[in-house]
Amino acid sequence: MKIYSIVFASLLGATALGATGANAQSTPACTGETVTLRILRTPGNYPYPKPMEAWQKENPCVKFDVNEVPFPQLADTISVQAASSNPPDIIVYDGPNTQSYAAAGILLPITKYLPKGWDDDILPATKAEHSYNGEVYSPGIEQTTVAMYYNKKLVEAAGVKPPQTLAEAWTWPQALEAFKKCQQGPAGAATVWGLGPTRFGNGQPGLVYQDLIYQRSAGDPKAAPTSSAYKTFWAFAPDGKTAEGYLNTPEAVEALKFYQSMFNAEGVAPKVGIPNAFFDAKACFYIDTPAAGNALIKDPKIEWGITPLPYFKTPVVHTGSTTFGATARSKHPEIAAKFVVDMSWGEYAYMNVSQRGNLPTLKSLFSRFDVYNKYPMKVFVDQLQSWGQPRPPGPKFAQYDKIVSEALRGVAFGGNPAELMADAEKKVQRILDR
Amino acid sequence: MSTGEQALTVSAGAKTRPRKAATRRQKQERLVAVGFLAPFMLLLLIFQYVPLLVMARNSFYDYSLLNPAAEKFVGLRNFADMIEYDDAGRSFGITFLFAFGVVVFVIPIAFAIALFLNSKLPARGLVRTMIMLPVVTSSVVIATMWSFLLDPSNGLINGALDIVGIARQPFLTSTTQALPSLIAMTLWQQVGFGAILFLAGLQGVPSELGEAARIDGATRWQVLWNITIPLLSRTTLFVVVIMTVFSLQAFAPAFLMTQGGPQEATNLIVYHIYNTAFIMQQAGYASALSVVLLLVVLAISMVQMALLRSRWNY
Repeated sequence: MKIYSIVFASLLGATALGATGANAQSTPACTGETVTLRILRTPGNYPYPKPMEAWQKENPCVKFDVNEVPFPQLADTISVQAASSNPPDIIVYDGPNTQSYAAAGILLPITKYLPKGWDDDILPATKAEHSYNGEVYSPGIEQTTVAMYYNKKLVEAAGVKPPQTLAEAWTWPQALEAFKKCQQGPAGAATVWGLGPTRFGNGQPGLVYQDLIYQRSAGDPKAAPTSSAYKTFWAFAPDGKTAEGYLNTPEAVEALKFYQSMFNAEGVAPKVGIPNAFFDAKACFYIDTPAAGNALIKDPKIEWGITPLPYFKTPVVHTGSTTFGATARSKHPEIAAKFVVDMSWGEYAYMNVSQRGNLPTLKSLFSRFDVYNKYPMKVFVDQLQSWGQPRPPGPKFAQYDKIVSEALRGVAFGGNPAELMADAEKKVQRILDR
Repeated sequence: MSTGEQALTVSAGAKTRPRKAATRRQKQERLVAVGFLAPFMLLLLIFQYVPLLVMARNSFYDYSLLNPAAEKFVGLRNFADMIEYDDAGRSFGITFLFAFGVVVFVIPIAFAIALFLNSKLPARGLVRTMIMLPVVTSSVVIATMWSFLLDPSNGLINGALDIVGIARQPFLTSTTQALPSLIAMTLWQQVGFGAILFLAGLQGVPSELGEAARIDGATRWQVLWNITIPLLSRTTLFVVVIMTVFSLQAFAPAFLMTQGGPQEATNLIVYHIYNTAFIMQQAGYASALSVVLLLVVLAISMVQMALLRSRWNY
């Protein structure tokens, strides 16, 4: 009897304690109809649990059903799910696809939901990338761009002193000299590469995000709009109607010959990926987003620094990150749009951005991130504000990206730059004409 | 009269006789057979034949997967585009070359391995395991492993070439070497399957025929050439058709190792279809390409069956 009493008392006590805990963590009770927002995102991406939980306290009637797919399968999944009878309410997607998804009617315009002051606070490159036909489709949370990291030990041993400010930034020929000085081992088969491979995709060169910058920087946005220098800089007609005359220009071909030489004649960059090459001290220089810097701050495997991205004539870096938006066919468009806008504004935006450490899209938040106010990470902020350009936006960006990436890869592997760019122009045109 | 002719005569005679009414047991057996077959047939119908019909219908439309509701009927335009633009012809050409390369090398090598496995030579068990391992290994693992092997800078193969004084080769990054590299990888992966099929065929060849020929003074080579190979024609046909269809449908090497490059040198047709539908968002054109691929595979298989039809039986 005594044992039963003790067990009963213990169970009662445990239940009471559990109930207390539940009460302490509970959100305000929902007095109306409960709404479930279905979110499609990539693992480790926003919206993050903390701001979501905080938002739910203000919106107790909203629940979330989160589905995750790896980034390489994200676009395919959106293609399939967006057309289904029950699409997700909110999708996380690659920012440059905004116009494609807007033109296809997947995204809901959110201009009317944006808070006062948003227009002045948002980075111009972000706004341009996330707008279509005068409407904003995604407020954006994070922004990224690329800069050139370097391994301090290797670079100093080679007697190279990379610049630390935009004003002193190298040109590509200057950078090439540094790569050659620092590289160890034979050209084309180095033990320590001058310029390490990208971590994006399968590590092969050619990605528009990283490698279209070479030819764009050989252009000039201040030149006459009909000039090849102007077209080289934009790499796509501003009205989005053609790429002809924008990729295969004399300036672009010259820049691409230089680009090609790095993988071939000069042999300072590998043609295929080497996992963690920079972090394992197998590369002197390496192009990446702030994510690499944040990872190195947390776990400083090597001594490192950042130098602004080199250029030919006009410094330029591509912007862009994953972003998110409400879907046009959501069953709860008002709530979905409110959630998306709230998550990217004020304290919620700060909570989301600070989780991963990329740059914010709101200028007002920059000062709150100490790490971006001093060298080396400040280089990213300076680049973003002074040199940042979205990748050539348009409703056919995904196709443009694939076609031009393949052409750039062909150049890196030794193909004829003029022929490959002319072919890319034709292929882009075929897509645009459809 | 040969056994085959006798069988033909018997079956022809059977046709003229009136059909006997099925017994209760036969009816029950048929019902059981239908019961077993029905789920599979239903799945086949839903997941194979209905999608085929939908694909055929979609090939006359222009639409994007992002917004299929906005589809437009374009008649034969998707098929006309295959002629007007060179992407389809080029991709089919590369795929045929790939299939030809795979089949031409797989058949003799698989046959040679099968002969070895059918003999009484030592280490047969080890060889059987070695050749079957790639067959049962995931294509993703194989593609990743071969990507490392074929690395133009620091790959194992280039390391070996370097030791013997041969210059490093670009392999997957070269427009001329990428396709042969994929053929070599597929050969390595598929040869075990071909060998096992040939081995099964070899073990079904009556040994008396070879023994009789040997007693009559035929050499081992003559037995192989005049008896074994002709009697294996059914197996050979099967292996050729299977390998051709596998090769025409190859996707993983292009997707995982080369993304169809460099400069479309490995843009195999199934990868091109995937790319057209999911990246280029031209699902109608991708459907038209799929229809043509289906017809091409059917035509090639029929031609192969006609050319390699068995003239001998046992």
